[in-house]
Amino acid sequence: MTDEPATPAIDVARAEVRPRLRPLDYVIRFQSILGLILVVIGGIVFSPRRHGHILFLQPDNIANIVRSISETGILALGMTFVIIAAGIDLSVGAVLGLSSVLTAALLINEGWGLWTTLPLVLVCATLFGLLQGAISVRLQVQAFIVTLAGLQAARGLALIASGNEFININYGSGPGNAPPAFAILGERLFDNTFPVATLVFLVLAVVATFFLNHTRYGRYVFAVGGNERAARLSGIPVEWVKISVYGITGLCSGVAGIVHAGQFAFGSPTDGTGYELNAIAAVVIGGTDLFGGAGTMIGTIAGAIMLGALANVLQLNDVSAAMQLLATGAIIVAAAALQTFVGRRDTRSR
Amino acid sequence: MTALLEMRRIEKRFGGIHALKGVDFDLHSGEAHVLLGENGAGKSTLMNILSGNIAPDSGDIRLSGTSAHFSGPAEAHTAGIAMIPQELDLVPGLDIAANLFLGNEERTAWGTLAHRRMHSAASELLKKAGVSLDAGRPVSSLRMGERQLVAIAKALSANARILIMDEPTAALSATEAEHLFRVVRELCARDVGVIYISHRLEEVPRVADRVTVMRDGRVAGEAKADAPQAELVRLLVGRSFEDLFPPQASRIGRELLQLEHARFDPSIERAGWQAARDVSLTVHAGEIVGLAGLMGVGRTEFLSALYGFEAKGRWSGMVLVDGKPAHLGTIAAARHAGIAYVTDDRRGTGLILKHSVGENVVLSTLRRITPWALVAPRKERRYVADALSRFDVRPKLPEALVVNLSGGNQQKVVFAKELVSEPRLLLLDEPTRGVDVGAKAEIYAQLRSLTAKGLGVLVASSELPELIGLCDRIVVMSGGRTIAEFGPRASEEEIRHASANRTEAA
Repeated sequence: MTDEPATPAIDVARAEVRPRLRPLDYVIRFQSILGLILVVIGGIVFSPRRHGHILFLQPDNIANIVRSISETGILALGMTFVIIAAGIDLSVGAVLGLSSVLTAALLINEGWGLWTTLPLVLVCATLFGLLQGAISVRLQVQAFIVTLAGLQAARGLALIASGNEFININYGSGPGNAPPAFAILGERLFDNTFPVATLVFLVLAVVATFFLNHTRYGRYVFAVGGNERAARLSGIPVEWVKISVYGITGLCSGVAGIVHAGQFAFGSPTDGTGYELNAIAAVVIGGTDLFGGAGTMIGTIAGAIMLGALANVLQLNDVSAAMQLLATGAIIVAAAALQTFVGRRDTRSR
Repeated sequence: MTALLEMRRIEKRFGGIHALKGVDFDLHSGEAHVLLGENGAGKSTLMNILSGNIAPDSGDIRLSGTSAHFSGPAEAHTAGIAMIPQELDLVPGLDIAANLFLGNEERTAWGTLAHRRMHSAASELLKKAGVSLDAGRPVSSLRMGERQLVAIAKALSANARILIMDEPTAALSATEAEHLFRVVRELCARDVGVIYISHRLEEVPRVADRVTVMRDGRVAGEAKADAPQAELVRLLVGRSFEDLFPPQASRIGRELLQLEHARFDPSIERAGWQAARDVSLTVHAGEIVGLAGLMGVGRTEFLSALYGFEAKGRWSGMVLVDGKPAHLGTIAAARHAGIAYVTDDRRGTGLILKHSVGENVVLSTLRRITPWALVAPRKERRYVADALSRFDVRPKLPEALVVNLSGGNQQKVVFAKELVSEPRLLLLDEPTRGVDVGAKAEIYAQLRSLTAKGLGVLVASSELPELIGLCDRIVVMSGGRTIAEFGPRASEEEIRHASANRTEAA
C-alpha cells in the first residue's frame, strides 16, 4: 500500500531468473583476494632484482610483509565484528598503545610475571571496549562519537600508566627486567622464517572466522547489523550483541598491544596512532558493508595482507611515503565504489 | 468533445513479463478518474508511461486530439502532465515557498534569492490548490496530509492540465483524506483532469466520476463511480470477494488471552502514541479475532505493547495468558508466553532485506538450529526447506535475497519466520498490506489451517471487508479503548457506525 514497489510481478521474475550468484557477485565477495593476487603479481613483475633473484619473493621480504601486517590484522579481525554489527570503533589504535604501555609498566616497573601481566592487560582492554559499547547503547550516543572519545581517554590513560614516558623492556632476571620468554613475540620460527607475531594473527584469524561463521553469536551479529529492529522483534538480545562486539575489539586491541610490546621491546603511549584507520581500511577492502549486515572474515584477512604487500611493493621500488598514502587511499575508494556499483545495479530497475 | 487524454493499445514488456497488454484509457477535462487495481495490475506502469518515465513498446497517446511522444519526464511535464509520487519529492528542511520553487528559484537583480516575491507567488499557488497554509512554514513541521497538499500545489505550479496522484491517501488520516478529496473536486471544477491511482474501493465514490479497473495488465472494465462495490470487487480480483475467505472456525478451544480493563502505561510518553487505556477482550484457541477502528485509535500501539516491542512500560488490570496472570511488556516475556508478532511494516521490522530468505526464516528460532551455540548447516538447510514448503514461499530458494521477492512472498517469509517458533497466539497488524489478491487468499487459508490446530490469532486491519471475511469476532477500538464487539458476519455498516459514533462522543 504505502511501501511496496509498484511492480512486484517483475520482482518475482528477477528472483526466479537470478537466484544464484552472478560472476560479478563473486568478484565482490572475493574482491580482496583478487586484489591480493593482483598486488602479488604486480609485486613480482615490478620487483627490483638482485643477482637474478626477485627481491619481493625473498623469504626475508615475505616475512617482513606478514610481520608488518600482524598488528593491524589483529585489530581488523575485531573491527569486522563491529562493522558487520553496523558499528565502528575508532579507539583500537589507542587501546593498542595503552595495552603496550600497561604490559611494559607491569613487567618492568612493577616486576610482575607474564602469567599475571598478560591476562590483566587483556581483561583491561576488553573491559575498556565493553564500557564504550555500554555507553553507546545505554546512553544512545553514536559509536563514532563514543569511540572517538574512547580514543582520547585511552591515550590519556596510557600517559598516566607510563608516567608520560617511553618504557624500555629489558630481558633478564631480577627487578627491572622482563622474563626472557616474552622476547619470543619478536622472533621468527621455522628456521628463522616465520614471525611469531604473524602466528598470533593467524591463530586469531582462525578463531575469529569460526566465531563469525559457525556460532549462534555470529548469526546474531549479522542479524543486528542487517536490521536491528527486525532482530529485536525476533527475540535476539540486540543490546547485548551491540555491547559485546566492542568487547571483541577491545580484546583484539589488547592482544595487538602485547604483540607490539613484544615485537619492539618497549611500551610507548603514542604508538598505534592511526592503526584504527588501517584496520577499517582492511575491513572495507575485504568487502564488509559499512552499513552492517554483510561481510566476511576471509575478506578482511586478505584485505589486511594486501595492504601490507602493497606498501612493501612500493617501498621496494623506492616510491615515496606520500605516494604510498595516495595509493592506499585510491584502493580504499576503489573497493568501496565497486561495492556500491553492484548495490546500484541491484536496485536500479526498481 | 475531444478527450483531454486518450491512450490507445498501450503495450509494454519487461523482459519476460507482459506488464501492459493493449491498454486503452482516457480522461476528460474536469474529470476525476480513478484507476483501480491490485499491486502488479499495471496501473503504475501505465502512469509512468503517461508521465514520460517509461517508453511504451507500442500504442498511441493523444493530448486534446494531437499525438504526443515523450522521450522523458521533462517533456511530459511541459505538455502539462504532472505526477505526484507516493514518496513526495519535498525537502523537509526548506519552507513551503522554497519547495515550490525548488530548481527554478526567482532571483533579484543582485542575483540573490527573491524571497518576498517567491513567498507571495507561493501563497497564490497554495490558494489555487485550496490550501490555507503559510508559505513560510518549513515542510518538516507539516503533517502528511498537509505535505500532500503542498505537493499538489507544486504540481500545479507548472500549469498542469493532467494531475496524476499515486495512492495519495495511503499515509493520511480520515479527516486529511476528506480534505484531499475536496481539493480534488475543486481542481476538477477548474478543468484540471485528475487521474487517481488507488486500490481502496471505499474511496472511489467519494473522489471520482468514473473508475477504470485494471487486472493483470489489462483493463478489466470501466464503471461509474457509484457502481456497487461488489461489482468493482469482481472486476478487481476476477472472482467474487467471498471466495477469498476460508470458512469460519468450527471449534473454539480454551481461553488463550484474556484482558479485562487492561491498561498500558508507557514509561516514556511518545507523541502521537495512543496507548491502550482500557482494553477488554478474549482470544480463544482456534479463533481469529479482529481489531477494527479508525486510523490512530491505538490498534498498532496495543499490539506492540502486548508484545513489548518498542514500547517500554507496564500493563495493569487483568492480563491472563492461558488462564494465568502474565507480566507482558517485554519481548522475552511475550515469546516465553508463546506469543508471536507480525508488524505492519515488513520492510522496516519484519525482514532483513539484504539477507537471504533462509537467513530470515531462521531469525526467530536461531536457538533451535544452533545446538551448543554452534551453527549446524545440514540441520538448518532441512529446517529452512521444510518451512518454505509449508508456507509456500516462491521461489523456493533459500539463498534468494528477500528484497527481490514480491510483497506477497515477502509476507509469507515473515509468517514463516514467526510461525516456525510454533506460537500459541499470533498478533497480526495489517497482515495483507501491499499483498496481491492471490497471496492474500493463501495467507487467509494458511491462518485458518493453523487455527484449526489450536493457534489463536488477534489481527488488526484497516480494511473492514477483510476483517469481516476472515474473523470469528471483531472488537472495535477507539481512543485506546475497546468499545464494541461483533460476532461473525457483522455488516460493514454496523461496525463503521460503532467506531464513528464513539469518536464524535469523545
